[in-house]
Amino acid sequence: MPRKFKEQFKDFLFVVPALAYAIIFAYYPLVKLFDLSFTNWNLLRDSYKYVGTKNYEWLFYGTGAKYIRNSIQVTVIYAVAETAITIIGGMLLALLLKKTSKYFKVLKAFAFLPRYISISTAGVVFLWMLNTNSGILNRIIMQYGGEKIDWLGKPGTALLSIIMLAGWKNVGYGMMIYLSAMPNIPREYYEAAAIDGATNTKSFFKITLPLLAPTTYFLFITSLLASLKAFQSIDIMTQGGPIRSTEVYVYLIYHMSMEQFRVDRASAAAVVFFVALLLLTIVLQTISKKVSKNSVL
Amino acid sequence: MKKKKITLFSIINFIISTAIILVMIFPIYWMVVSSLMSQSELLSNVPKLVPSSLHFENYVNVFKRTNMFKYTLNSCIMTFGVLAIQLVVGLLAAYGFSQGKFKGKKFFYYIILGLMMVPGQVTFIPEYIMIAKWGWVNTFTGLIVPQGLSVFFIFLMRNAFMNVDKDIIEAGRMDGLGRFGLIFHVFIPMTRTIFTSTSLILFINSWNNYFWPKIMTTTEDIRVLTIGIAYLKQTYAGDIVANYNEIMAGALIASLPIIILFFAFQKYMFENKYI
Repeated sequence: MPRKFKEQFKDFLFVVPALAYAIIFAYYPLVKLFDLSFTNWNLLRDSYKYVGTKNYEWLFYGTGAKYIRNSIQVTVIYAVAETAITIIGGMLLALLLKKTSKYFKVLKAFAFLPRYISISTAGVVFLWMLNTNSGILNRIIMQYGGEKIDWLGKPGTALLSIIMLAGWKNVGYGMMIYLSAMPNIPREYYEAAAIDGATNTKSFFKITLPLLAPTTYFLFITSLLASLKAFQSIDIMTQGGPIRSTEVYVYLIYHMSMEQFRVDRASAAAVVFFVALLLLTIVLQTISKKVSKNSVL
Repeated sequence: MKKKKITLFSIINFIISTAIILVMIFPIYWMVVSSLMSQSELLSNVPKLVPSSLHFENYVNVFKRTNMFKYTLNSCIMTFGVLAIQLVVGLLAAYGFSQGKFKGKKFFYYIILGLMMVPGQVTFIPEYIMIAKWGWVNTFTGLIVPQGLSVFFIFLMRNAFMNVDKDIIEAGRMDGLGRFGLIFHVFIPMTRTIFTSTSLILFINSWNNYFWPKIMTTTEDIRVLTIGIAYLKQTYAGDIVANYNEIMAGALIASLPIIILFFAFQKYMFENKYI
């Protein structure tokens, strides 16, 4: 018995570092976050006291409500756009580039590369390309007699610029995921369809698309959950502006806590974010189990 | 008749594909080209897509005039530090969760997987306060240690370790290998492909990490490339536009290791679904 226990304990020791990490750097801070959200702590002060649900009231019914509402709206637009580009663009690219010749392999690599370029490099490059007076995009527009556009200075185009960057980075990922799923569709299906006289378009809608539904759903979940947490490109390109038009939710939390030092309010906002993400994931996973047998973890 | 139709289709396919990819790599092309242009050419009224002469001195200048060298060094220290801890913690956990026999194994594994529901974007405020109390802000300890756990790595390596042939593990035991010996001489070699591709992703993620260094660092001494690059347009003396050629040189240097790794390990990159 003691010997068996000793062996068990030795095995357990292997997972201790990971568990320690989980508790110290994730679960403990999460509990602390709930705690902070009921205080009135401003980072500029040393002491704080508990104020009940005041921060949540401020967030839902007070002055905070309009920031939160704006932020949710921006985040949803951004996340839906990024997810749509990843799925639709990825599918189109996969169909275009599915050939396996050497030339097409190179094209695929170039479509996939932007995903690995850091957002800060990509952001700085896009800032330069979108520069109002000297950026290449405006200079091309002016060459063809158009008016130059203040890409990052106007609410609508600022969000569009952020979405362009996200689309550029992620469309190759969508393509890659589809390309790895497409060979699994049995060739016979297409042959049978061709014998029945189905056109390419028809067999795409009747065979390819339905059989790739689990793949599409995988992409939908991963892209949506990732894009809801967007922060970097906004921090680099617009800092949430102009007039809060690109202030996604994580940027709002960051701005309130690290720049305005209102840790109390920011914590309440972060708690709301955590709960929303948790509920969304549970819903998506439940649907996922119905869509395909292998759940996406 | 049929054959002709196919060729026409493939020609159109070829042209459209090439055109789309040319647009897609344009930002990278434009970064490279801008980094080699002179200032006057960069700002000339008629856009030039090819520089008339190559100005490599932009690269020298960006190192001379900014803290690029320090950023690069800091990025290296952070990336290798984080990678080392993530690999050690991750391999131990992957072994424990796949081969270990102890009470509550499943429960503890769910605790680790549950971390996916607790992203850093949610917990960074209390984490920052805690780390500030420890005096770790603006130190490499603060930059590296809190990033030492990768759930993604544990998840993939545990699954890979589960699929290692039992006979081979038994043979390893017979040869007198202990737990650590098994990890190094049996499990890692048997899961080489997945181990290489996931480690590569860990490296790239650390090198490209922006959020945590942004929270943890406020001074030039400790800034990494991702943050330093984003600040170049503010920290760089002079007109915001005029030195974009040098800023592009900096941006390219920051991503060069990744671009090289991407093409060197292309085979692995295309195999991994969970990136």
